Amino acid sequence: MKYWQEALAVAQRILLELCRRQRSLFLWVMFPVFVLLLNGYILADQPQATLRGAFEAAAPMTLVGAALFFSCLGGTIATVVSEREQKTLKRLFLTPLSGLSYFFGIFMAHSCIGIGQALLVYTSAAFLQARFNGSLWLGGFIILLSITIYVGLGFTLGTQVARRIEDVNALVAAFGVPLLMLGGAFVPLSFLPTPLRQIAKYNPVYHMNEALTGVSAAGDGVSAIAPHLYFLIGFALLMVISSGLAYRQMLTLERRL
Amino acid sequence: MLRIEGLNKGYGDRSVLQDLSLAIAPGEIYGLLGPNGAGKTTTINIICNLLKADRGLVEIDGQPISRATQRLIGIAPQENLLYRSLTCTENLNFFARIYGLSRQTRLKQVRYCLEAVNLSDRAHSPVETLSGGMQRRLSIAIALVHQPRLVILDEPTTGLDIEARYEIWELIRQLRHQGITVLLTTHLLEEAERLCQRIGILKGGRLLAEGTLPELQRHIPATEIAIVKTTEEERAIDRALTYGYTPRRYGSDLAFWLPQAMELTQILQCFQGISLDSVCRQPVRLEHIYIEVTQFGCDAETIDRSADRQNRYD
Repeated sequence: MKYWQEALAVAQRILLELCRRQRSLFLWVMFPVFVLLLNGYILADQPQATLRGAFEAAAPMTLVGAALFFSCLGGTIATVVSEREQKTLKRLFLTPLSGLSYFFGIFMAHSCIGIGQALLVYTSAAFLQARFNGSLWLGGFIILLSITIYVGLGFTLGTQVARRIEDVNALVAAFGVPLLMLGGAFVPLSFLPTPLRQIAKYNPVYHMNEALTGVSAAGDGVSAIAPHLYFLIGFALLMVISSGLAYRQMLTLERRL
Repeated sequence: MLRIEGLNKGYGDRSVLQDLSLAIAPGEIYGLLGPNGAGKTTTINIICNLLKADRGLVEIDGQPISRATQRLIGIAPQENLLYRSLTCTENLNFFARIYGLSRQTRLKQVRYCLEAVNLSDRAHSPVETLSGGMQRRLSIAIALVHQPRLVILDEPTTGLDIEARYEIWELIRQLRHQGITVLLTTHLLEEAERLCQRIGILKGGRLLAEGTLPELQRHIPATEIAIVKTTEEERAIDRALTYGYTPRRYGSDLAFWLPQAMELTQILQCFQGISLDSVCRQPVRLEHIYIEVTQFGCDAETIDRSADRQNRYD
């Protein structure tokens, strides 16, 4: 109960702060829609492609590769770094707030943003004839796993690597762009040479993309996407553990007045 | 309320706290003074369970320091560590939730704290629109929101204008009336003089002096201090020594300890024949005691008033 209350307080605070920055909120809404339109029309331009098929393929790759990546990974790094810059992190260390609650608070806030973006991307795609063909529950589970991975990675990078708000861009660019390219978020994987496709199999974005595309575009069930799902579950657990260790390390270094 | 005994802390070879012992009674305002690097912040870090001591005991309300005792402490750090885009109410509400206050208690406490720091009319203003003084008051309100038994105020008025300072002082006095124990660190000696029942002076991790203001005044065996402005300082010092006045320099001021209450004419008589620009008398203040203790480690019993006088002045 204690952890739940604390996590809820952290999540509400992050969302409240986001709501105050209305310009940012507007851009977070516009960004995935623009990327969806670009991806959709690029895919629709391929030989024998239909508009519906193009947007059914574009929606998952836009969501996991672009929208969630920037909001949940970039957003988490920015949340932690901004707390450090405002020094409110020090204030939090003075309270009995646990690391677990802090992490889950950030996760809950970014889950709300991620779910909002998922609804936005799929609603926009639906206007362009796309349909969600598989199980909504399975699709939702993959989206949650993707958010967990992004938040975990963002939390680890935010606590361990990023010191200032300027570092956020550098980190997202250095880690993000190669991961997105190799994950098929902007360019379909079929465009990549074989060695890069082999490397892509170790990239969580690739597995998010493949799993969600399988479920939402092809209507696949659990058995068809099982290897991707196992990879994502394993990676999500790894990220939660990594976040815990990163928080502990941050406490040791920064828990001082 | 707070008991510290034989506290030691070092970083590598550098010793930051050496056998620090002090006790603060419930409802007392205790001022912890000392130059930068004296060990004040390290002491606070240990009290707040942010840092482990190498040796020694710290108890709050009879309980050794732990995660549980964090709930007994409210701290307003030197800087205003606030969520700037949130309103005063939202900031308070957030911290109240972190401390696990129930919804009803939270609402009551948020309202009470806003009233206590005189911010009710700015309850829904974002922090970034508040003045420095208001932000500091909000920071103190956050320290109070979970009804702590001990409140630590780390330089609460540093950087504030005089009006904001008076407001914070009034607030601290109110805390005392409510029976809340306050540990105050400050570089403003006037602040400690006005607010604290007892004062401890820390330097190099050691508590050099402690007591009420009259008790501390015993560190200077004088009833008053005369500040003399003259172009003939050497002559004035020599003359004063023959009269038994101890010379001291406080900043650029040349001062003399007067062993007993004197009329101005008696003081002037001492400096007869020396060209004086001005002479003024003032009572022994915390400022003088602080300098004596931190610069000379002065102790009332060990002052060698005859032999050491000139050395101390130099």
